Amino acid sequence: MKQFLRVLKFELSNYFKNKSFVAVTILLTVLAIGGVAAPTIYQAITGTGEFASESQEQQDQGSQDSQQESQGESRGKLILACDAAMSSLPADIEQLMPGYEWEVITGTKEENIEQVKKQVESGEVHGGFILEDFMTYTYVVENLSMQDSAEQQFSEALKLANRDRFLSEKGVDAAEFELINAQEPQGEQLILGKDSISNYLYTYVMVFILYCLILFYGQMIATSVTTEKSNRAIEILVTSVDSTSLIFGKVLAGAIAGVVQVGLILGGAVLSYRFFGSGWGGILDMLFDIPMASWLTFLVFGLLGYLLYAFLFGMLGALVSKTEDISKSATPVTMIFVVAFILVLVNLSNVDGLLMKVGSYIPFTSCMAMLARISMGGVAVWEIIVSAAILAVSCLAVGWLAAKVFRFGTLMYGNPIKLSKAIKQLKNQN
Amino acid sequence: MRLEVKELRKNFGEKEVLHGISFSVESGRALGLLGRNGAGKTTTIRILMDVFRANSGSITMDGKAFVPGNYQIGYLPEERGLYPKKRVDEQIIYLAGLRGINYREAKKNMKHWLKRMGVEEYETRKLETLSKGNQQKVQLAQTLVCNPDIIILDEPFSGLDPVNSQILKEVVQEQIDGGKLVIFSSHQMSYVEEFCQDIVIINHGDIVLSGELSEIKRQYGKNRLFLSAADMEPEQLAAQVRESLGELVTVHQVQKRGLVLQLTPQHTKRDVLSALPGLPVDVETFGNYEPSLTDIFVERAGDEA
Repeated sequence: MKQFLRVLKFELSNYFKNKSFVAVTILLTVLAIGGVAAPTIYQAITGTGEFASESQEQQDQGSQDSQQESQGESRGKLILACDAAMSSLPADIEQLMPGYEWEVITGTKEENIEQVKKQVESGEVHGGFILEDFMTYTYVVENLSMQDSAEQQFSEALKLANRDRFLSEKGVDAAEFELINAQEPQGEQLILGKDSISNYLYTYVMVFILYCLILFYGQMIATSVTTEKSNRAIEILVTSVDSTSLIFGKVLAGAIAGVVQVGLILGGAVLSYRFFGSGWGGILDMLFDIPMASWLTFLVFGLLGYLLYAFLFGMLGALVSKTEDISKSATPVTMIFVVAFILVLVNLSNVDGLLMKVGSYIPFTSCMAMLARISMGGVAVWEIIVSAAILAVSCLAVGWLAAKVFRFGTLMYGNPIKLSKAIKQLKNQN
Repeated sequence: MRLEVKELRKNFGEKEVLHGISFSVESGRALGLLGRNGAGKTTTIRILMDVFRANSGSITMDGKAFVPGNYQIGYLPEERGLYPKKRVDEQIIYLAGLRGINYREAKKNMKHWLKRMGVEEYETRKLETLSKGNQQKVQLAQTLVCNPDIIILDEPFSGLDPVNSQILKEVVQEQIDGGKLVIFSSHQMSYVEEFCQDIVIINHGDIVLSGELSEIKRQYGKNRLFLSAADMEPEQLAAQVRESLGELVTVHQVQKRGLVLQLTPQHTKRDVLSALPGLPVDVETFGNYEPSLTDIFVERAGDEA
């Protein structure tokens, strides 16, 4: 135990004395705290109202504002080609799509097509709409950019114009209809279980953080093991301390360093939001208002999942002699982990599905799948206990195997050794 | 303490690399483990240190199974290396801690050994900033920092210049005089001759010679004489000896300086001495042959062995 604690202390000091580790932790923590507090600080300096409320209002009034803005400034010229029989329509469209400069032509279908194409190609107009009837049109544009909303607006305007025309034909006043149509039922939700929609964001973020943490620290542990092997310190180590203390010390030091680093960054952001988050007007509640159960799940399953993968990475690090061989050696484990991550992410909208249920008991996926199920789905306490127990036992088993492989692999220099070969030779030794 | 190794056998895959190695060594004595590259010295040492497990055989300390973890062992492996990016003092204290030495004692010992090795000025420097020779001395300091009862040095002089070799030589001698059990592997026979009371020569995984060095030398010199001439090259002298003294001696070895002669049965040194005046050469040296360890090693572990 003393040896394990000494290895742990030494490995931890390696992290905390590492300038880049400290710098990255401080930088990200400051950025997290500052980023969350920025709107409140901005308001305090400028004396303005709530940043978020303003932006929300801006969004709500988006169309109105844009109409006002667009009155002074043209969004571009469009051409509308239609049959003479649809002569009333252009005026309606123009009214419903303010901000655009319109040119209306009427002619035969062929003439319209030719004329619109010609003007669009020459750049005289941004685009053109060729109406076949009241519900069918063709949008002609030279290059369709991602921000081009003209067609969407035209489609909406056409729909409204047709609706008003239909109501008018039926003798219904369009303004009155609009008034009735605008009335919304007033309802509220009383959620007795979990709100998947609001929990989605923080669950997604937690799974993503776990993914980054495991990959980052897993690689660091593999590198640390291989470095000791490549600089030949390993023979002194394995003759001074048992390999179980060595690998457990290394892996747990990585876990503690990771918890401290992520804890500082996330904790800083959460505290900053609690004390200085008013400027956001509650729009980040979905991200920061995380229930204690989810935090605990993140801590327990995150740590166990991390340990499982860290032991695997440490074991694979012992099977190569050069740090540049690590990525090749670690590819199978990395692939398993990436596939597990993608599966969980894809099924995040269906956390109570069979795949997630099965995944929450498989050690390679349970750290992320169970986290998602607890945060967003319905899961019984016994399921959590069984899943955590399977994961914990798997960690110990993989840790034990890692110590054996570590001991075996550390003095095998030269070409990378395959894990299957190492296990086979271990069996033969016993 | 008496460490006894019996019939060690070790396989790597299908290949047996040690074919039954046996030797013993006691406290206050040094054993020289000799052999050519790939002979099996390092494998034997690694089995002693429990880095590898032997396929068969036994290692005992005072009659009981030897467990390295139960003893303070100062081990300098052939594959040397520490943490290049860590400070010298930090890593020595850490490694001493792993061997059960408390911080205060580890620090005291670390300072003592760095000073003894002449590298105390580098105590707080990163290892990678030191020269190769000084890194080697730091490695030796960490070997001895735990005040070991058993010292196992695998090629300790490699990489050291003559001045540093002298420092190490003195340190090793102090340890032997201090009653430590020392196992010493080296290709540098002069050092082995200086320190080691006992030697074991391993060749292709077999022990080809073992025992007390002085006795081995005596046995090797027994019934052998050395003869050199001032006016004749050794090859010519050999021809002359074969012609004139062929009944009394055979030419065992032609060396640079002279000849090693083997007395034929029933004849003595006195017979040869009586016959020498009749030899038409200017005799420069005549006496008992005292073989060097190199001579013995080459004979037992050389290509013709």
